[in-house]
Amino acid sequence: MKKYWWLGLIFIGALILPLVVGEFWVHVAVEILILGLFAVSFNMIFGYMGQLSFGHAAYYGVGAYATGLLMVKASVPLPICLAASMIAAGICALIFGYFCVRLTGIYFAILTLAFGQLMYYIIFQWYSFTGGDDGLQGIIPPDLLFGATSYYYFTLLIVTAALIVMWYISKSPFGYTMRAIRENADRTRFLGINVRRYMLINFIIAGMFAGLAGGLLGPFNRSVAPDLCNWHQSGVPVFMTVIGGPLGFFGPMIGSVIFTFLMAFVTGFTEYWPLTIGLIIIFVVLFMPGGVLGLVEERVEVFRSKGLKARANNSKY
Amino acid sequence: MDISLIFSQFLSGLSRGMMLFLIASGLSLIFGVMNILNFAHATLWLAGAYFCYTFWYLMQDYGFGLWVSIALASLALALIGWFIEVVLIRRVYKRELPEQLLLTYGLILVIGDLIKLIWGVEDKIIARPPLVAGPVFFFGIPFDSYFIFVILVGFAVAVGLWWFLKKTRYGHIVRAAVFSREMVSALGIPIPRIYTGVFVLGIFIAGLAGAVQAPVGSITLGMDMAVVVQAFCVVVIGGFGSLLGTFVGSMIVGEVYAFSILFWPQGALVLIFIVTAFILIVRPWGLFGTPMRA
Repeated sequence: MKKYWWLGLIFIGALILPLVVGEFWVHVAVEILILGLFAVSFNMIFGYMGQLSFGHAAYYGVGAYATGLLMVKASVPLPICLAASMIAAGICALIFGYFCVRLTGIYFAILTLAFGQLMYYIIFQWYSFTGGDDGLQGIIPPDLLFGATSYYYFTLLIVTAALIVMWYISKSPFGYTMRAIRENADRTRFLGINVRRYMLINFIIAGMFAGLAGGLLGPFNRSVAPDLCNWHQSGVPVFMTVIGGPLGFFGPMIGSVIFTFLMAFVTGFTEYWPLTIGLIIIFVVLFMPGGVLGLVEERVEVFRSKGLKARANNSKY
Repeated sequence: MDISLIFSQFLSGLSRGMMLFLIASGLSLIFGVMNILNFAHATLWLAGAYFCYTFWYLMQDYGFGLWVSIALASLALALIGWFIEVVLIRRVYKRELPEQLLLTYGLILVIGDLIKLIWGVEDKIIARPPLVAGPVFFFGIPFDSYFIFVILVGFAVAVGLWWFLKKTRYGHIVRAAVFSREMVSALGIPIPRIYTGVFVLGIFIAGLAGAVQAPVGSITLGMDMAVVVQAFCVVVIGGFGSLLGTFVGSMIVGEVYAFSILFWPQGALVLIFIVTAFILIVRPWGLFGTPMRA
């Protein structure tokens, strides 16, 4: 564990953060954590399984609505809501994923997109249950977590726990089986591994954690809207992962820090945030393949050996 | 349900399908030849509508204003398409799928915001010339006469593309490139130039589609977001790179929408995605596509 000392530093930094910055940046930090969890869960499909999902927002949205509906309509306590969010998103991922894992490449991307839009239109049109276009308002967190700082610590706790679980999954034999499938699905099949079943399980796990991220979002925003599920929301984790670098486990988290921080900063003085981020996306795609983490690995000694090893393990991307 | 209602729904589905065909044919052509899924296709379509509005606005005193504007808007978009291909798309031919998708996703954000910057947030409305302003009657059922024009343009583009692909030398090269780029380039045909031409043609049709769409209702920011995924559905159902498939796919999506709106209005769009998912699962290369790429 010696080489992960910097993670400990980051965690301590995250703990003292609310003491040194104002409330606005605490809000930004909560968003970074939630979107980071969303992006890391996306990267379980993208980075470890090698398939691009363009409908990951569906599970994020389902998670958000599960918590939102349970809190608004049944006043269920928040921790139970979050568990329900994971289960609801997991079931959704099971149904959609069952079909998605039969395809690869561009077809996988489009089928996930089609299912994502299916979910979006169901939520959008089902006025009596989801509130349709209006979304759900009045998702009030419990008194204990009402303030920005306390909700931040709660989110930090949940997200850290979720990241640790995903970290162990990625380092487990299951995680390495996913890497094997990414590198060569046929050879993996020859080893006697049921490739589709493994891919489906991975898809469900990724969906569940996206659901958890969505569940955290509702009480933070006090509302949820169907746009959480829409396909351009699915582009956000793709971008975060590419800017941060899909190879490292924390790449998407770094992408989330950059994306969310920039958004908070840029929207402060211009309404043309999409233009700004669009230009950044194009720039990153054209000139920075491998993302920020890739750049850091090239330049900084400490990370270099680890990066090279990762690249040897992950020759495809 | 009587026969005239069915007929009027059929016509409305036909015009909707034609609209989708105009957008999806360029998308399908670009994907079939260049293997690049252009997320920004519908955003360029929307830009075509705004361009049409501006040209019409400048010429609104003349009766022919709208028709000239449609032609000018398509040409303007062809120029923009050329610029995008040469400056951006050309650099990512050899990249992985996610990076190509992200690039066109970034383009959506940039172009969408540029539209907002240039034309503002207010909806734009084009007053139609008298020829296509009123309804026409089929068996006593009123039908928007402008949609007749839409259907005619759709057929014209379908026939024109068919003629280009089947009867001309360049069309043959393009069709050959759908099957094997390596083979085409081995015959000494400059692939990058073919790619540029195909991309410009695709965006030209998208601009035409946008300009034709412009006088249908008001032109609104964000119209492209719903349209682009429906165009994907059309291409998936018909099969990437197949003109006939795109045409049939458009008709299916248009008619499914027009008829399901009678029985289950909330479910019309949901149904389209169910059809698309079903096709992708049982036949990923679409109804008329070739399974080679699958």
